[in-house]
Amino acid sequence: MAECSEIGLLLGAFEDAELEPHEMQDVAYHLARCDACTSLLGDYASIGRELRSTVELPSLVGFAQSVQKRIDNLPVPMGRRVGRWFGRLGEQLNSGLAMGTAMAAVAALTVLVLTPYLRRSLSPSLGQALVKAPAVASQQLAAAARDVEAAPAAIAVAANAADSGELASDSHAVISKLEAEMPSVAVWTEPRSDTTVIWLPDQQ
Amino acid sequence: MTSTHRTLTVLLAVLFAVSAHGSAEAQNHPRLVEVRVDSVVASDTNGGVDVRLGHPMTRRLQGLFNYNTYRLVSHQNNHTKCGDILEFTLPGGRILHVQPRAVDGDMIVMELNLFDGARPMMTTDLKLRNNGILMIGGPRYEQGMLIISIGASSADPGPGSLNDRQVASPLGSRTH
Repeated sequence: MAECSEIGLLLGAFEDAELEPHEMQDVAYHLARCDACTSLLGDYASIGRELRSTVELPSLVGFAQSVQKRIDNLPVPMGRRVGRWFGRLGEQLNSGLAMGTAMAAVAALTVLVLTPYLRRSLSPSLGQALVKAPAVASQQLAAAARDVEAAPAAIAVAANAADSGELASDSHAVISKLEAEMPSVAVWTEPRSDTTVIWLPDQQ
Repeated sequence: MTSTHRTLTVLLAVLFAVSAHGSAEAQNHPRLVEVRVDSVVASDTNGGVDVRLGHPMTRRLQGLFNYNTYRLVSHQNNHTKCGDILEFTLPGGRILHVQPRAVDGDMIVMELNLFDGARPMMTTDLKLRNNGILMIGGPRYEQGMLIISIGASSADPGPGSLNDRQVASPLGSRTH
């Protein structure tokens, strides 16, 4: 059993319920058998009641705000202020960069979507070129066909020009059919005058 | 349908109508083709060059052949519309038929038939560039060779030009 001297030291905390559970149990077990300590606990309790009744508690209305205000008014070290400024700047840059990226993405999408319509509406020459494209393609095909048609004549021209060391590069005439009663007919083109010649050797 | 689509549709319809109208106009007014035929005798008789040939023809002949004498025998000039046949009477009883068939861009599609009397000597289908010249040579004539220079050019007739212009008979020709 604990001595009264030990229990006496714990009575104030017991009155305020500040002891550990096993200490609270020991003190309560001792008080149940010790009238002196019980009386001393009664004295502590009466003293506490007297003190609380005599002391007027200050009003706590606005206490937190006033404390925060005083904290805010405390002088901030230069290093911390510079750090805060850089922190805000970084946040602004990050937000600005994000905003700029979003705007650039929107602009790119707008350009991609609107470019075909803008080309049609703002560039009539392009539209005309698109309208003329089939005709141009057919002309190119016709030119290619003419080149193919001209191939036999060009071969004959090259064969005949070999004697003079000249080759016909262009011709004013494209011969697609040539029939003659004589067995050999010469065809050549003179490039300087762009003149095509059909030579029919006289058989008489 | 948006206003842009409506505008494009109307524009395409107008273009189609204009092109169809132009095609119909072209069919109603087939293009005229002018054909020039020069008959030249080339020989080595030291006769020089006929001044009537002109400088361009002289240079062309001298660039193509090695004769020292060129004499203009006849010059014929006629025109017709595509599909008709022009007949040219050539020296030595030869006859040349020229039938322009179409004008394809800058090329004139035509068929040539050369006859020696009633006997066909040569038939050819060709495209001759506008204002281009084709020469047919080889047949003997007098002391030399006959060279036939055939030139063709197309003219845009325009509305009513066929009625306004004097079109020679397809089988007629003028000989100098």
